[in-house]
Parts: sequence; C-alpha cells; structure tokens
Amino acid sequence: MAQGRIDTRRLGRFALRGVASLSMAYLLLPLFFVTWLAFFAQEIPSFPPEGYSFKWFRAIPGNDRFVSGFLLSLEVAAIATVIGLMLGVPAAVGLVRLRFTGREAASNLLLLPLVVPGIVLGIALYVFHVEAELMTELPILGSFGGLIAGHVLIVIPWTVRLVTASLVGMDRSIEEAAQSLGADRLTTFRRVTMPAILPGMVAAAMFGFISSFGNLEMSLFIVGPGRTTLPIAILQYLEWKIDPTIAAVSVLQILFIAAAMLLTDRFVRISRVV
Amino acid sequence: MTAAALPARQDDDARASFLSAGTLVGPATVFVAAGLLVPLAILFRYSLNRFEPRRMMVDAFTFENYVKFFSDPYYTGIFWTTLRVAALCTVACVVLGLPLAYALARTQTRFKNILIVLVVLPLFVGNAVRAAGWMTLLGSKGFLNVTLEKLGLIDEPLQMMFTEGAVIAGIIAVNLPYMVLTLQSVIEGIQRQLEEAAFSLGANPYEMTKRVLLPLALPGLLAGTILTFILGMNAYATPVLLGGPKFKMMGPLVFGQFQLNNWPFGATTAFVLMAATLALTATANILVQRRYRR
Repeated sequence: MAQGRIDTRRLGRFALRGVASLSMAYLLLPLFFVTWLAFFAQEIPSFPPEGYSFKWFRAIPGNDRFVSGFLLSLEVAAIATVIGLMLGVPAAVGLVRLRFTGREAASNLLLLPLVVPGIVLGIALYVFHVEAELMTELPILGSFGGLIAGHVLIVIPWTVRLVTASLVGMDRSIEEAAQSLGADRLTTFRRVTMPAILPGMVAAAMFGFISSFGNLEMSLFIVGPGRTTLPIAILQYLEWKIDPTIAAVSVLQILFIAAAMLLTDRFVRISRVV
Repeated sequence: MTAAALPARQDDDARASFLSAGTLVGPATVFVAAGLLVPLAILFRYSLNRFEPRRMMVDAFTFENYVKFFSDPYYTGIFWTTLRVAALCTVACVVLGLPLAYALARTQTRFKNILIVLVVLPLFVGNAVRAAGWMTLLGSKGFLNVTLEKLGLIDEPLQMMFTEGAVIAGIIAVNLPYMVLTLQSVIEGIQRQLEEAAFSLGANPYEMTKRVLLPLALPGLLAGTILTFILGMNAYATPVLLGGPKFKMMGPLVFGQFQLNNWPFGATTAFVLMAATLALTATANILVQRRYRR
C-alpha cells in the first residue's frame, strides 16, 4: 500500500518534469530556429543547410534600414524610460506612503496601459493625435514627440509596479529612525528611502526600456512616415520574405535583450519582479 | 525630540508640497488619463461617425457601423475565427503552463533564476522575431517538412505556413510565458505542507492537484487565463506573419481599416474587439468565482 503510493508520486513527478520540459522547449523553439537560420550559407531558408557562414552578420552594419531602426528604437526607449521614471517613481512613493481618496482608482489607472491591448492603444493614440493636431494646429500626428509620449505610457505601469513592490517590502522603521534623528522628509527620502528602493528603480528602468524597445503594435500606428523602429522594420521585412539576413538581425535583437535582462538580474532577481 | 513633537511635525510635512498626493501621484495620473482615457473616448466617438469615400469621415451620431459589422458574414466570420483561435490558445496555455509553472515554483536548483530568464526572454524578444523562427520551422522546405519527408512519412511538403494551425502554434508560444509567470507567483505562495498533507492522507498526485493545488491556485489560474485570452484576441504580428494575407483575425482587421482611411469603421472594429474581450473575461470571472464559493 505505502509502496504503491510512493510510486504514484514518483510517476507524477516524472510526468510533471516531462510536460514542464516540453513546454519550456516549446517556448524556446522559435528562438532556436531563427538562430540556426542566421548561420545558413545559402540565402533560401531550406533544410538541410548547404553550409554555415557569418556573412549575414557582417552585412548588417551596411543595412541602413535596420541600423537606423535600431538607433531610433534605442533613442525612443531611452528617452521614454527617463520620462517614465520621473513620472512613475514619485507616483509609486505617493501610492504606498500616502492615504488619500481615489488612491485605489489612481493605482488601477496607472497600471492600465499594460492591460489595454497594443492594437487598441495604438489606434486610440492615432485618433487622439489627429484631434490634437486639429485643435492646436501643431504637427503632432506622426511626430517624434507623439511616439515618445506613447512609449512613456507603457513605461509608467512597469515603474509603478516595480517601485511599489520594493517600497512595500521596505522596513518602515528605518525611515522613522532617520526622522527621529532629525532628518526632514526630503533628506529621509534622499538618504534612506532612495538607496533602499534603488534595485526596484533599476528593474523598472530595465523592464520599461525593454518593453518600449520591443513594442510593435502601438508604434505601428503612431510612427510617422520615414520613421521606422526596429520591431517594425523586422515585421515589414518578414511580410515580404524570410531569409538569413532577417534571422541575423533577429539574433542580434535576442542577444541585446538577453544582455539587458542579465544586467537587470545583477541588481534584482528577475524571478522576484516579473 | 519629544514624542509629542513628532506628530505635529509630520502634520506640517504632510502639508508641505513635497510629499502631497497631488504632486507625487498627480503628474503620472494626469498623463495616463490624458494619454489613455481621452484617446479611448475619442475613438468611441469616431465609431459613431459616418464614412464617405470621398470626404473620408463625416460627423454623425449613428450606430450603423456596428450594425454593418454584425450583419456582414465576412466580419462576423473574422470575429468567430478570432474567438476560436483565442479560446484554443488559452486552453493550450493552461495545459502547458500549469506543469511548467509548478515545476518552476517548486524547483530547488541554483539555476532557477536562469530558468525564469529563459521564460521571460521570448516574451521580450518580440512577436516578429519569434514568428521568424516559426517560418523557418514550418516553411515548405522548412525543418519540419524536410524531416517528415526524410522519415518517409509524407511524399510532398505539407502546407503548414499560412494556416490557422500555424497561427495557433505561434500564439500559444507568445502567450505561454504570461500564463507561466502568473501561475508561478501564485503557486509559490501556496504552502508546500498542504500538498504533503494531502499525500500523507493518501491522495495520489492527480487527486492532490485537483483538490488542493487547483483550488488554491485558482485566482492565479483565472488571472493567467484572462490575460492569455485577451492577448490571443488582440494578436497582431503572429496572424499577419504566420496566417498570411488570407487568414484574418480582428487585430489585423483593425489595422487594415485604418490603412484604408476608414476611421469610423476601424474605430468600430477596435471597440467590438475590446468590448467582446472585456465582456467575456468579466463573465468568466463571475462564473468561476461563483462556482468557487460553493
């Protein structure tokens, strides 16, 4: 009897490991194949490859579309992250430390951009830009500023979420100790609270940056003519054809994102924040 | 400092501009309200306008765009396809996601963080890049077709790209990380001793899962299901790249209408999509919670 019970548990563990490995493999499958393709010697994506080569990687720096796409994505993500932090960090501090009416509503609103689907967000921003341009007669539609504003919108929820989490986990008595020793609130924040939530802020910056850098659906609606972010450049190329060139570009994007994530991991355990 | 002085001091500070709710939370709230709620309101207003090919958009107050959507089999067909694909993908994500989430939550290895990174990485790499991987795998001379031919299982390549199956396979991979991460954080909060108690009382793993783990993990399961369903309904890059020009889902339809400059109908399709998604998730929420309470 006892023996039988142990056996079902072992069987269960076995099945669990099997299915878990299978879904992990499934997740990584597309990344594996796109990486494989990037090293093909021939241009046509047919198996088995005729040989292997690095030439597609060497050709990327000469490809204007992808280089300028990468630079634009980098620029937009960097600016949007800075603005997003400047808006989001104080908001997180206020949401955790203060009690005021409408606190719950404000908190939900600030997390909302993460839940509203990219395609709906994009189309809504587009009509908003149309109306704003009609009202102010300023060139808003398809402008760089409009693109940045859209990306700030998706950085804010990450900032609020991650900084809130690190504030909640912080021991409040340290702040009280600083205040009872004569520090005013600003000094307390600067010298005590800030250092304590720094990992959360780094994580917020990284996740905000990464989700802005990789954003496709929303950007598709609000980029102006002649302005193409890297994800859009990749999408448009793939709508036309698949070959080792685009695979090599994809591999660079994978490496870039992976490096950003491993860097984040040095400050905060990624398993804690996602 | 005396104890009596402290509260008074905090009162002063609370009134000081630095830490007031308005200055801290205000800017971000105003930004998101102006950048999200106002645009959604304008979008809804646009959906009540009328489209005339030469004059583009004409101010009106009519529901005819919504009537057009639901009376034309072409659009309702796209709607049902989207619903079917999203539902299938969500079911697959639960089946594949629960074991992986459980294994990640309960693992004792040093490499747990690496494993989590491996789940998150595909999420951040973007849908287009992953679609490129599926194209390599599923093309007529892709890995799968060539392997099957070599094994003698098929004589000529199967049409795998530009099918509903390819889109479903792609969306499952896109949504699975969300399900796994949501479930994993909830399972980590469930005490291991509860599972051990079930086992020591004679439950087998299936019974333990059904009667202990699942009821306790239900909030996470519900949140993950809703999230993956929303993402499935609104998928864009995957259906465009893996489904090709003929296969249509709501996301590409919305974008297509805007490319045709038909803003009122584009706004309508966006609102149908959002309303259907919200209504279905709300219903699921209520049904599961009612059943759970009993």
